[in-house]
Amino acid sequence: MHKLLFLLLIWVAVPVFASNVTEDPLERRMLEIAKDLRCAVCQNQPVSESNSDLARDMRAIISEQLAMGKSRQEIIGYFVARYGKYILMKPAFDQSGTLLWIAPVLLLLGLGSGAWLFLRNRRKAELPPVTPLSAEDRARVQAAEAEDRASERVGDGK
Amino acid sequence: MLADSFSFNLVELGRFAALLAMTFALIQGLAPMLARWLGEPRLSAITLNASILVFGLTSIGGATLIHAFVTSNFSVTYVAQNSNTLLPMFYKVTALWGGHEGSLYLWVWILTMFTVLVARHGRNRYPEHLPIILAVQGWLIVGFFGLILFLSSPFERLLPNFPLEGQDLNPILQDPGMVIHPPMLYLGYVGFSVPFAFAITALLTRWKSELWIGLIRRWVLIAWGFLTTGILLGGWWAYYELGWGGYWAWDPVENASFMPWLLGTALVHSITVQERRRMLHSWNIFLVISTFALSLLGTFLVRSGVLSSVHAFSVDPSRGLYILTFMVLVLGISYGIFMRQGRYQQAQEDISSMLSREVLFIWNNVLFTVATATVMLGTLFPLALDAFSGSKITVGAQYFNAVVLPLFLIILLLMGITTQLPWRKARWEKLRRRLLWPGVVGVGAGIALVAIYDTIHWTAPVAITLVFFVATTIVIDYVRAVKQRRKQFGDSVWRASGKTVLGNRRHYGGMVVHMGILVMAMGFVGSGLFRSEISVAMAPGDVVQVGNERIRFDGVKGFSRSNYQTVEGSFMLLNSGRSVNPERRRYPVQTNPTTEAGIDSTLWRDVYVVLAEATEERWAVRIWVNPLVSFVWGGGFIMLMGLTLTLSTRRRAIEQRQAAIPAPGGESSLA
Repeated sequence: MHKLLFLLLIWVAVPVFASNVTEDPLERRMLEIAKDLRCAVCQNQPVSESNSDLARDMRAIISEQLAMGKSRQEIIGYFVARYGKYILMKPAFDQSGTLLWIAPVLLLLGLGSGAWLFLRNRRKAELPPVTPLSAEDRARVQAAEAEDRASERVGDGK
Repeated sequence: MLADSFSFNLVELGRFAALLAMTFALIQGLAPMLARWLGEPRLSAITLNASILVFGLTSIGGATLIHAFVTSNFSVTYVAQNSNTLLPMFYKVTALWGGHEGSLYLWVWILTMFTVLVARHGRNRYPEHLPIILAVQGWLIVGFFGLILFLSSPFERLLPNFPLEGQDLNPILQDPGMVIHPPMLYLGYVGFSVPFAFAITALLTRWKSELWIGLIRRWVLIAWGFLTTGILLGGWWAYYELGWGGYWAWDPVENASFMPWLLGTALVHSITVQERRRMLHSWNIFLVISTFALSLLGTFLVRSGVLSSVHAFSVDPSRGLYILTFMVLVLGISYGIFMRQGRYQQAQEDISSMLSREVLFIWNNVLFTVATATVMLGTLFPLALDAFSGSKITVGAQYFNAVVLPLFLIILLLMGITTQLPWRKARWEKLRRRLLWPGVVGVGAGIALVAIYDTIHWTAPVAITLVFFVATTIVIDYVRAVKQRRKQFGDSVWRASGKTVLGNRRHYGGMVVHMGILVMAMGFVGSGLFRSEISVAMAPGDVVQVGNERIRFDGVKGFSRSNYQTVEGSFMLLNSGRSVNPERRRYPVQTNPTTEAGIDSTLWRDVYVVLAEATEERWAVRIWVNPLVSFVWGGGFIMLMGLTLTLSTRRRAIEQRQAAIPAPGGESSLA
C-alpha cells in the first residue's frame, strides 16, 4: 500500500519539477539510417552503435542531410559513392552479393534432396539379414531388460 | 633483488617446460606409430605416460606465466603488454588469456588436460584403442605448441631494458564475464577434440561403431555444454559491457563460436540415431570431424587476426601461414582418412518409414548443417572476396537474421513433432491426435499476440506459435508419463513427478534443454522485436518516456577508483522508484573512455541506459527498454540444468548397457 502511495506521489509530483524531453524525430530517422551503414574504421559495427570519431561525424552528416530534406536513399547513396558497397551492413544484390543470398537456398535444396535420396535408397537397400541371437545373448538381453524394468523408466516416447 | 632474479629464472624454466612438453607430445604421437612399424606393441604404452608428463609440463609452463603476472614481471613481453602494477590481483591472474599468446597457451593447456582425462577414462574401458586416441591428441598438441613456441611465444623476454610499468589489460576485458568466457569457450572447442580423436582412431582401427559411439556421447555433451556456457557468457558480457543495447550482433567473432555449436547440436542428435537405430555411422564421423574442424577454425579466425583485416595476415605472414598449413594438414589428413576408411563404418539397419523419429532427426541435421554453412559463408565470404579480388563487402546482422532465422523456425517446428514420433514407424492418425492440442495452443498464442500488438514483424507470431506448440507437446508428454506411473505404481503426485524425471534422466534432460531453448526463443522475440529505444540530450531534472517507462535524469558525479576514473550518471525510474547508474570510465593507459551501461533488470524487461558524451550541461543519453532479456539468460540456465540432468545418468547403467551391446545383432529385440 505504501509503495502504491509512493508511486502515486511520484507520478503526481513529477510534472512539477521536471521538464519532459522527447526524442527529436530527426534523431530517430538518423539512427534508422545509421543502423544500416557500417562504421568504416570499426570491426563490423554499424554507425549507430559506434563511439568512434568517424561514426560521430557520419551521424552528424546524416542529420545534416536529413535536415536539408534528403531522402534515405539519397543519403545512403551519398555514403556508398564515397566508401563503396562496403559501407552497407546488408550486402546488396549485385555480382558478389547475389551469391550470398542464393547460396543458402541452394544449400538447403542440395542437402535436402541429398537427404531425400539417401532416405529413399536406404528404404530399398537390401541389408544383410540380422543374425539370430544365440541362446547366451538372449539370456543377456533378457537380464538387462529385467534390470531395466526393475530399476525405473516410464515414458520415453514409445 | 634476489626474488626478482629468481622469478626471471622461473619464466625461463616455464619456457623449458613447454619445450619439453612439446617433445613429449611428439613422443606421445609417435609411439603407437613406431609400435606398429616396428611390430613392438609394448612401445605404445609409452603414450599414456607421455600424455601425463605433457600435462604436467604444460601446467608448469602455465604456472610460471601466472607467476610472472602476479609478480608483475615486465621483463616478459607478454606480461608487459597485458598487465600493470595497478591491475587488481584477480585480473592479473586471468590476464594470462587476455592476449593472443596466452590464449593459445590456455588452449593447449586445456587440450593436455582433456588428454589426461581421456587417458584416465579409457585405461580400463578401451585399453587397446587408447594409445591411438592419445596419439591423435598428441599430434594436435604438437601442432599448437609449434605455433606457440616458435611464432607467438608468451615466454618472450624484453631484455635487458625491460619497462618498469606495463601497459594495461584492455579495460573492456577487465570484467568477470570476460574472464570466464574464454576458458569456457576453449573447454568447448577443445572438448570436441576428444570425439575427434575417437573418430580418427575408429577409422584407423576399424573399431566397431557400436563400441565407441556410446563412449563419445558424454564427451560431446560436455563439450557442447561448455561451448553453450561460453557463448552465453560472451553474449552476457557484450550486453552489459559494450553498451549498444543488444547481446548478439552476428559479429565474425561470435559466429566463429556459433558454427561449432550449431554443428555440435546436430551431432548430439544424430549420435542418438546411431545409438538407437544403428545408422548414420559415416555421417556421424563426418560431423565429429567437421565440428572439431570448426572449433579449430573458430580459434584461428579469432587468433590469426584475419577478422580485423585480411591484411593482418600478410603483415605477419609466418603466423598466418602456419595456422593455415596446420588447418589444411589436420583437415586434409582427417577427411582423407575418412574417405579411405569411412566405408568400414557402415549402417546396419535401414529406414522403415519416412514418418519416424530417425527421419525427422535427419531433417534436423540437414537444417543445422545448412545453418552452419550459411553462417560460415556469411563470415568467410567477405574475407575471401577481399583476399582474392580486393573488393570489400560487409555482411551484417541483417543478412544473418534474414537467412538463418527462418531455418531456426523450421527447426523449432521439427523439435515439436519429432518428440511425438516413435522410432522406426509412426502412424498418421496417432500423430495427428498427438499434435492436435499443441497445435491449437500454439496457433492460439500466435493469434493472441497479433491481436494485442498489431504491427509486428511476421517472425514474432510464428515464433510464439511454435514456442507454445513445442512447450505443450513437452508438458502433455510429461503429464501422460506421470499419470501412467501413478497408475502403475500407485505413487503420489509428487513422487510420481519426481520419479518420472529421475527414472529417465536422459530423456527428460533433453526435454529440459528444449524448454530452455523455448524460453530463450521468447527472450529473442521480446528483446529483438519489441524493444523501445530513444536517443536524447538530457539536462538534470529532465524526464523521458521510453516504452512504458518514465525516466528522470538526476545529474552526474565523478570519482576515481583504483585503476580508472569514472563519471557516474544517476537515472530514476519513476514507475518503480529504482535507479540506474551508467558510467563513463577513463583508464589512464587508454585514450578513449569506455562506457558501462546502467541496467535495471526485472523478469519482464530491462531498462538499459548508456551515457554518451556531454555538451555543455546536457548529456547525450541512449535508453533502451528491452523486454524479456532475462528470458535469454534464464533459458540458457535451464538448458545447462537440463544438460546436467542428462549427464547425471548413473555411470553404472551406461556400462551395463555397453556390456549388452557387443554381441553383433544382439540388440534388435531390445529396441
